[in-house]
Amino acid sequence: MKVTTEAADLSKNDRNSGQGMQLRPQISNVDVQVQHEIEQFYYREAWLLDNRKFKEWFALLDDDIRYFMPLRTSRIQREGALEFSGDNEFAHFDDDIKTMKGRLRKLLSDVGWSENPASRTRHIVSNVIVNTLDSDDVYEVSSAFFVYRNRLESQVDLFAGERRDILRRRADGIGFGIGKRIILIDQSTINSNNLSILF
Amino acid sequence: MSGQTSANTVGGWTDEQIRSLFDEERGLIDPRIYTDTLLYERELDRIFSRSWLLLGHETHVPKPGDYLATYMGEDPVILVRQKDASLRVFLNQCRHRSMRICRADAGNARAFTCSYHGWAYDISGKLVNVPFESQGYGVLDKAEWSPLQARVATYKGLIFANWDQDASDLDAYLGDAAFYLDHMLDRSETGTEAIGGIQKWVIPCNWKFAAEQFCSDMYHAGTVSHLSGIMAGLPEDVELGNVQIPTAGFQFRSDGGGHGTGFYVAEPAMLQAIMGPRVTEYWTDSPAAEAARRRLGSAERACQLMAQHMTIFPTCSFLPGINTVRTWHPRGPGEIEVWAFTVVDADAPDEIKEEYRRQTIRTFSAGGVFEQDDGENWVEIQRVLRGHMARNQTLNAQLGLGQWRTDHPDYPGRISYVYSEEAARGFYQHWSDMMTRSDMSAALHRRSGLTAPGQCGKSIEVAK
Repeated sequence: MKVTTEAADLSKNDRNSGQGMQLRPQISNVDVQVQHEIEQFYYREAWLLDNRKFKEWFALLDDDIRYFMPLRTSRIQREGALEFSGDNEFAHFDDDIKTMKGRLRKLLSDVGWSENPASRTRHIVSNVIVNTLDSDDVYEVSSAFFVYRNRLESQVDLFAGERRDILRRRADGIGFGIGKRIILIDQSTINSNNLSILF
Repeated sequence: MSGQTSANTVGGWTDEQIRSLFDEERGLIDPRIYTDTLLYERELDRIFSRSWLLLGHETHVPKPGDYLATYMGEDPVILVRQKDASLRVFLNQCRHRSMRICRADAGNARAFTCSYHGWAYDISGKLVNVPFESQGYGVLDKAEWSPLQARVATYKGLIFANWDQDASDLDAYLGDAAFYLDHMLDRSETGTEAIGGIQKWVIPCNWKFAAEQFCSDMYHAGTVSHLSGIMAGLPEDVELGNVQIPTAGFQFRSDGGGHGTGFYVAEPAMLQAIMGPRVTEYWTDSPAAEAARRRLGSAERACQLMAQHMTIFPTCSFLPGINTVRTWHPRGPGEIEVWAFTVVDADAPDEIKEEYRRQTIRTFSAGGVFEQDDGENWVEIQRVLRGHMARNQTLNAQLGLGQWRTDHPDYPGRISYVYSEEAARGFYQHWSDMMTRSDMSAALHRRSGLTAPGQCGKSIEVAK
């Protein structure tokens, strides 16, 4: 696949660099083995979340993680660059390693009511586009997600979007660590009573 | 009186029946106020068409033509900054076939053109151009066919609007509650500014659960609702058992307005858990805290009130110190949209603004470690109330019943202990009055109002 039109430049509509990367679909520059390893990493990562192996999932986060989900608004075409909230604006999530550890502590506690009893989730990850960065061991990856949540008796929430990650190869675990995760959710008004699950 | 059918019978409920749904003296709530569709329709008429409703902050629309598409109750409205710096709010409805005039959430506009047949409006909401006007209409009275305008007023940066031309002005409406609003809005001579972006999410619950909790309910925070939220903010080596949940503080019930607030005094544990040490220091012991002390004329009010919760009736809620501000837009009896933003002192250092941004995202937002659990509670309550028997069980609103004073030397209004439901009783009594009385504007004018020991600023009506 090679797409070079302006409209396909995923970074073009970003208000700033908050969404993280100059990602643009281009002819894949990674070999089949790397593509396979990264896709397998995502499947295993999703498995950890969906099976509530939260400690193992949190161990995938690098110490300099930024876990960021900007707000999204409906804008007229000529103001499309303002669609995502910027770095110094409000967001759905903007966490570092310390605040992520606090979220883990809440999740594992007996008194975290929004996830106790726990939600049933299914993370489907697809459309994995990998770009190599300067170092062989660091990759910039776009993927599409579809997350289904069912909780308590009959609550159902559906979330779709794109994740833009920086992945760093690790010798242990499931092969990579997450250095950055930018989550571009395909909703402006969040159609759920809370965001107590992870993306 | 009973069985009488008259003008007082609206939507299947008589005034008398509605008044019986809340028993102020005994602290009893009939849960049908949270579920009944006919009562909800009456709320839209009697409450949301007659109250001052929060729409945003002045800094959301700094330049001429800047607009926000928002809501008053279920009604879509456009809030626009005018060329003379005043504000206008008008119904987001074309008078031709009711199409939404503005379909973006926010932006800057020179005009609004309906996308159905091209009727065009200037930024003040005046109809200015109608395609094929001379051929089709001869001359159309454009003033008559312009969208409905609301009254707009600001209080120290916050923008409110009201459909009711007879309603008291915003100052009289806020009354004795303005004193407590100032703890967040009047700490610095530069006032506040909003951090960009309004977060929106849907909670399937009645609007009164959210509004009442921010009005009156420190009880849930001091007991079990937010234990895991507190835990999420603790240093890794500190256990929940080592945290001293505060016990000292007051609650305020507005004199007749339905507003309420509560706060801890000189016990920082809750504020620390929510906002972290840097904001806590900024609030309690910093040059900004000293400036706030001078402006508010009280070291206790400026620096020692912690984790304050507050609601301006009906749906404007906020947390001074934490500085999250939100409107609970009603969407039927069983659903709300939360529209939330954060304010900061305009002259706060950049690192403090950043800390407010990050900590309120972390704690009071759809994904916030505190607010996640509020959403859980309210949704479950609403589900339980689907039950026929459940809807017919009286609910207990008796916490601190009869335990209040109005002669506190430092705090105006009806003052009770921090863990009380006195403000909730005021909230529901005002709800009952608004639903059944036609003279509420006069009643708000008459109440004792601005008897605060400290000074209160004046609201400014910016468009009528």
